[in-house]
Amino acid sequence: MTSPALALAPSMAPPAAEPKLKVRDLHFHYDGFHALKGIGMDVPEKQVTAIIGPSGCGKSTLLRVFNRIYAIYPKLKASGSIELDGENILDPRYSLNRLRSKVGMVFQKPVPFPMTIFENVAYGIRHHERLSKADMEARVELALRGGALWDEVKDKLKQNALGLSGGQQQRLCIARAIALKPEVLLLDEPTSALDPIATGRIEQLIEELKSQFTIVIVTHNMQQAARVSDQTAFMYLGELIEFDNTEKIFTKPGKKQTEDYITGRFG
Amino acid sequence: MTIGKDHIIKSYDSELARLTGEIVRMGELAAAQLEAAIDVVERRDDRAAQRVVANDDAIDALEQEISHDVVRLLALRAPMAGDLRNVFAALRIAADIERIGDYAANVAKRSIPLSMVAPVGPAGGLDYLAKLAAAEVREVLAAYAEQDAERGYRVWKSDAELDEAYTGYFRQLLTYMMEDPRNITPCTHLLFMAKNIERIGDHATNIAENLWFQVYGEPLDKQRTKRDFTSNPEMPKLGE
Repeated sequence: MTSPALALAPSMAPPAAEPKLKVRDLHFHYDGFHALKGIGMDVPEKQVTAIIGPSGCGKSTLLRVFNRIYAIYPKLKASGSIELDGENILDPRYSLNRLRSKVGMVFQKPVPFPMTIFENVAYGIRHHERLSKADMEARVELALRGGALWDEVKDKLKQNALGLSGGQQQRLCIARAIALKPEVLLLDEPTSALDPIATGRIEQLIEELKSQFTIVIVTHNMQQAARVSDQTAFMYLGELIEFDNTEKIFTKPGKKQTEDYITGRFG
Repeated sequence: MTIGKDHIIKSYDSELARLTGEIVRMGELAAAQLEAAIDVVERRDDRAAQRVVANDDAIDALEQEISHDVVRLLALRAPMAGDLRNVFAALRIAADIERIGDYAANVAKRSIPLSMVAPVGPAGGLDYLAKLAAAEVREVLAAYAEQDAERGYRVWKSDAELDEAYTGYFRQLLTYMMEDPRNITPCTHLLFMAKNIERIGDHATNIAENLWFQVYGEPLDKQRTKRDFTSNPEMPKLGE
């Protein structure tokens, strides 16, 4: 039962599918800097939720808290709760290993491991599961197909992944993330280092992946948020200013700050 | 939502301001055309009527310019939220003004055959309709220039008066036609002209609706009282 203080304001709860992630009164501190100030939002299942906002607004921090990347740094602290299917993932008893298998992440810059394309995908799977050679091959193929990369790399699986183009590397990273069959996929500026064609492929991929995964994407590119997402959250100075259906945010936002930001009047 | 602050990119502001300026200028031209058209009806001046008809080209040219600017803004600026509604409304309002210009030109055009027959009594009544319509057009454009949707809404409501006046005029023309068949030709021209003017009022209300959407992001959806009853089968019929 949520206490009244933690209940979501109407504008923070778009009418959508069942929430996969329930964020309540989330605060985050970087060694004295208050980066997230009482965030509350419901991330709907099997939809794309975009987080936008100016640099330093806390959008990447929020994304990172979703899989507790901060856990390795002792001075970083999160409070409040994030429920994933009803369990608080901020609870230290929620194991990181379990969390990471459920919540995958792809970063701004594609970071393939310096190994073969095949091994890049197989590496993470081995960390969580023991599979026979045939099963592993099938699983890698499935992941690469899921990452819309299979047709381009099926004949060079043994080649080094660093030889792939930037766009291919990013799709490899997505394949690597989905190989673990996560439930939530976090994308942090996944196309900001890519050209428009590679960006288009990733956006198409996001569209395909949302039937299987709950996707949260942080992007500086508002047109991209408008193109790929179902919901959009606008953050500013560590606060969630507005969270609503993407169409509403980009045609008739409820808050002046949102309007100013998306129309390019922020100064 | 009022938008006070300027864009980070200054030229974007000047492009949006230019668009608004073009709409206002186009609207002024259309209102002036309507007034000129009525003037030539009264003066029975064929040459002046032809000039009014020819002047409609200037309104059409402005509409072309606005369409071009809108496409350019959409392609190069990718406007969002209030800016997007602004650009969208401009395109629609320009189309309404273009129609207003056409109707004004039609009134001028019909004044030519009308002046070829002897003057009929009800010709003067057209002036009252045209004054109401021109006032609506001017007022709704002033509302647009100030982004005052409420003022636009008052124009929208006031169109009922024009509709009523048109209905009254329609009845009046029918009685003249029933009285003397020689009145049928001029009165039919007057009827078409009156209908054109009544339609101008409808386009003024469209502008008010688009302004409302531009400002509030939702359609002006209030049940309007219809006052133009001339399409109603209960209207008196010729010869009854």
